[in-house]
Amino acid sequence: MVTPMDLIKRKRAEAVNRIISKGYLAPKRVYVGMATCEIAAGSKEVMAVFQDAIAKGLTDVYLSQKGCAGRCNLEPTVEVVEEGKIPVKYGKVTPERAREIIERHLKKGEVIQEWVI
Amino acid sequence: MANKRFTLTCCDGSSCLRNQARQVRQALEEELERQQLRQDVEIHLSGCVGMCSKGPILIVNPGYIMYGNLRPEDAVEIVQKHLVEGEPVSRLVISEDHLFNRFYRIFGDSEFFGRQMRIALRNCGIVDPEKLDDYLAMRGYEALARVLTEMTPQQVIEEVKKSGLRGRGGAGFPTGLKWEYTARQPESEKYVICNADEGDPGAFMDRSAIEGDPHTILEGMIIGGYAVGSHQGIIYIRAEYPLAVKRLQKAIEDARREGLLGERILGSDFSFDIRICLGAGAFVCGEETAMIHSIEGYRGMPRPRPPYPSVSGLFGKPTLINNVETWANIPVVIIEGAKWFSSIGTATSKGTKVFALAGKVHNTGLIEVPMGTTLRDIIFGIGGGIPNGKKFKAVQTGGPSGGCLPEQYLDTQIDYESLTKAGSIMGSGGMIVIDEDSCMVKMAKFFIEFTQDESCGKCTPCREGTKRMLEILTRITKGDGRPGDIEKLERLGMMIQKASLCGLGQSAPNPILSTIRNFRDEYEEHIHQKKCRAHECTALLSFIIQDNCVGCGACKRVCPVNAISGNRKEKHVISQQLCIKCGQCYLACKFNAIAKE
Repeated sequence: MVTPMDLIKRKRAEAVNRIISKGYLAPKRVYVGMATCEIAAGSKEVMAVFQDAIAKGLTDVYLSQKGCAGRCNLEPTVEVVEEGKIPVKYGKVTPERAREIIERHLKKGEVIQEWVI
Repeated sequence: MANKRFTLTCCDGSSCLRNQARQVRQALEEELERQQLRQDVEIHLSGCVGMCSKGPILIVNPGYIMYGNLRPEDAVEIVQKHLVEGEPVSRLVISEDHLFNRFYRIFGDSEFFGRQMRIALRNCGIVDPEKLDDYLAMRGYEALARVLTEMTPQQVIEEVKKSGLRGRGGAGFPTGLKWEYTARQPESEKYVICNADEGDPGAFMDRSAIEGDPHTILEGMIIGGYAVGSHQGIIYIRAEYPLAVKRLQKAIEDARREGLLGERILGSDFSFDIRICLGAGAFVCGEETAMIHSIEGYRGMPRPRPPYPSVSGLFGKPTLINNVETWANIPVVIIEGAKWFSSIGTATSKGTKVFALAGKVHNTGLIEVPMGTTLRDIIFGIGGGIPNGKKFKAVQTGGPSGGCLPEQYLDTQIDYESLTKAGSIMGSGGMIVIDEDSCMVKMAKFFIEFTQDESCGKCTPCREGTKRMLEILTRITKGDGRPGDIEKLERLGMMIQKASLCGLGQSAPNPILSTIRNFRDEYEEHIHQKKCRAHECTALLSFIIQDNCVGCGACKRVCPVNAISGNRKEKHVISQQLCIKCGQCYLACKFNAIAKE
């Protein structure tokens, strides 16, 4: 008999596969905070910059939204996660800063220290 | 702080301390000193991290490497191998796959997050709240599956009881007991309600929790439904939270589609569904009996208890009501077990508490800390202290139902009992830091204005009493305070506390009574000397032009009542008879020549 536990394990495996098929294993993962507070601080515009860059051919990046991590006075926040490296957390990201993060960090691998939380 | 290369978190829980945690920390500090690395490393203490059997525990970030069973003599090796050569000492590393670990792998290295412990908010900032897949990948709905597979409703209730979890909405009633009372009722029709009617000014814990991780609330509620024998859940949330509502709706639809909600959940015999009920934003509807009236379609007004909702609630049926944060803790209690959960916190308060840290602190934000953390650790550690070199004056917890605690209470540990003993309450998690520039009388007036406005009007003590208190406070801040006003406020306050019908009224005088208790001298100054030391009550100030006035005329131009006179390039004068104390001149002066006295 299939128990609820068996079922949920199967569902989890399927979910993980779906996430991976959407590019989760890309070298870099970018998370943009999209709770009410972050949106009020301007994260929708920031998200649009990343989406636009990917539409225009930026590769090797997995983009996702996330809820509020709690760093209210530094919102909007953006995390760049690379396996095996220290996750980089940027605060007060504007569309201009987002474009620079794409150019310098995502394309050239340079961490922009002055904006790091 | 920003440029430290490593942060070391040393568990300072009582069990670790018994096992020489302090000696381990000293050995680490000595070794760092010897290697001249002390300035590269931030060391801080944390409350119990819940791994007592393997203590003393040390967590090194970045990377969230956890060491356990440490001896003081291990310090040399850890510093040399890990911090100097960059290679963790594998023989001492313990790996524990707790639900909250992922948060630390991403956020753990910063001062702000490193001191926290995320249980209710474990996925906030990690998962995409609009994707069920993300939640499933984080062991989402595993607690539900376990409950349906191997636990009877009675076992679930026992587990919640043993965990020591208490209601996070403010009153702190033991959650397991509430479940047991509801389960015991013989009726076949029962309801489960999630109270998301967050209304305290400055509080946003529930909104963030729902917007960041809506599925965990659903999972908690389904488990609750199973435990008490209910098939219908309702989330009461205010319409002012449109994004939270949208994400909840999406989560409910996704969960239904995957068979996690609705008929025969996960192939079991248990059926449960959840619907959302929008509130119009009345503060009183956060009170459970008023909320029930509101859901039933009546005006939101409380009724006397007993009978408690667990006996006779929504539509007269047994109803289980818990707060958002309480529900978010349930899946963790089931997966990690009651024993683990109850190892965190203090003797009477287990687990963690979420706070919305706001006011005059460097780092404002949403935080979750183990019970037992001191107010000082939160305000000066996580919060980073008071900006602009100002002095700490008080911290307000519990919103309009809470109180203000001055400096001597900074070492109070966060738990239900100690906060009450200190004269405030835990509340739902608002925490506002106040510095020397804030007037306590004005602050008390702000809160009573709020409760007066939100009083539903059903019972006289709250409706009339808060009105009279507000009148007296308004008088005091306008400079018309009379001798005896403080005593009158105290008498009124006590009467409202004793005679009001619901918790809102009973707690409404708290901000005033606690400020009178701790800052009586400020009230007396306002009344007798007509002075406001924080310079906030403008009616009690005089604006005076000092000798460094250059006579530029900027103040004269902005004064709406022509109270300022003086020739160009000569010192100007404000006529105190004409001045309406609007403060325009103060803002206009570029030479700081106008003083408030």
